[in-house]
Amino acid sequence: MSTVLTLSGSPSPDSRTSVLLRHTQEWLVDQEHEVLTLHVRDLPTSALLVANTEHPAIRHALGLVRRADGLIVASPVYRAAYSGLVKAFLDLLPDGALAGKVVAPLATGGTQGHLVAMDYSLRPMLSAMGADNLVPGCFVLDRLIQLAGEGGAMDSSALAAVHVALSQFGAALGARHRLPVVA
Amino acid sequence: MTYRLAVVSAGIGEPSSTRLLAERLAQATGQALGGQAEIHVVALRDLAHEVANAVLTGFPAGALREAVDTVVGADALIAVTPIFNASYSGLFKSFFDVLEPDSLAGKPVLIGATGGTPRHSLALEHALRPLFAYLRAVVVPTAVYAAAEDWGGQLTDRIGLAGGELANLVAGTPKPVRQDPYENVVPFEQLLAGNG
Repeated sequence: MSTVLTLSGSPSPDSRTSVLLRHTQEWLVDQEHEVLTLHVRDLPTSALLVANTEHPAIRHALGLVRRADGLIVASPVYRAAYSGLVKAFLDLLPDGALAGKVVAPLATGGTQGHLVAMDYSLRPMLSAMGADNLVPGCFVLDRLIQLAGEGGAMDSSALAAVHVALSQFGAALGARHRLPVVA
Repeated sequence: MTYRLAVVSAGIGEPSSTRLLAERLAQATGQALGGQAEIHVVALRDLAHEVANAVLTGFPAGALREAVDTVVGADALIAVTPIFNASYSGLFKSFFDVLEPDSLAGKPVLIGATGGTPRHSLALEHALRPLFAYLRAVVVPTAVYAAAEDWGGQLTDRIGLAGGELANLVAGTPKPVRQDPYENVVPFEQLLAGNG
């Protein structure tokens, strides 16, 4: 069992990113991982955008990242890149904060063309932050996620793809536990 | 004729090297335009709260509305961000997330960035240029990156070069025709008819 933080960079509580993360969290719980959740939109906005890391809520959020063995970073694709909101939070992390953690990017977007936004913006940014155990993650088209109904729903093919990505994430978490600790 | 230059700085320090670079770029552009430029600086730091609210609600309000109008209505834009994690800052990206997607189409833009080390200078080409390409803005070839040790010397030349490029582009670009959003409203009968 590992501790996994799911990080949402969507500005809206009723978003496709939320539906995707709800399914992700269910999968993680099924696999008996401890799940921590963080919605960047719930953080105090001014403190977030001017990088005030002394604010208690921001310190708490940074503590969640420290505690986690793995991170799921989920963002809607805006202007062919990750949301400004998710970047604002990641900017607050100290150097090396992602080192040794398993990190999986998840993204939702309106067109298949935005698939590359993951590879051209989200992954390189996480990589530049020192994420040295970055697994492929998943991009899900907006139209495969339905917002209607309680908690929304995902198309079965999209859900299967997300489960494949999560299995890779889970396998990397498992391998992490078997690695000798480097002093 | 006088050109309106909007200058967006995402610097968060006081004083801010990002803001300094933004102002130097604006001065260089203004000089290249023979002094026929009005410079309007938008410091995103002072609008952080409004930017965050607009991200959540989808509507820029108050001082942010004015800043958006300044940027959208300008003849050219100079956009400068500190580089964090090899990319633009979250505040900078949030501001451009709030702008309507087509509002910068065809606008001449000069991009600049500041960073602690020269290692991240290509973030301009890998993060900022694609962002403005997506927004269909016209970005001048020379982007200006200033690391802590770059101030003085060649940086001044590069600022002059970039400002000259922006000035040439602005002077050769016809003034945008601003459309009145209320000029061509869909008649009410037509809206209602759509509801069957």
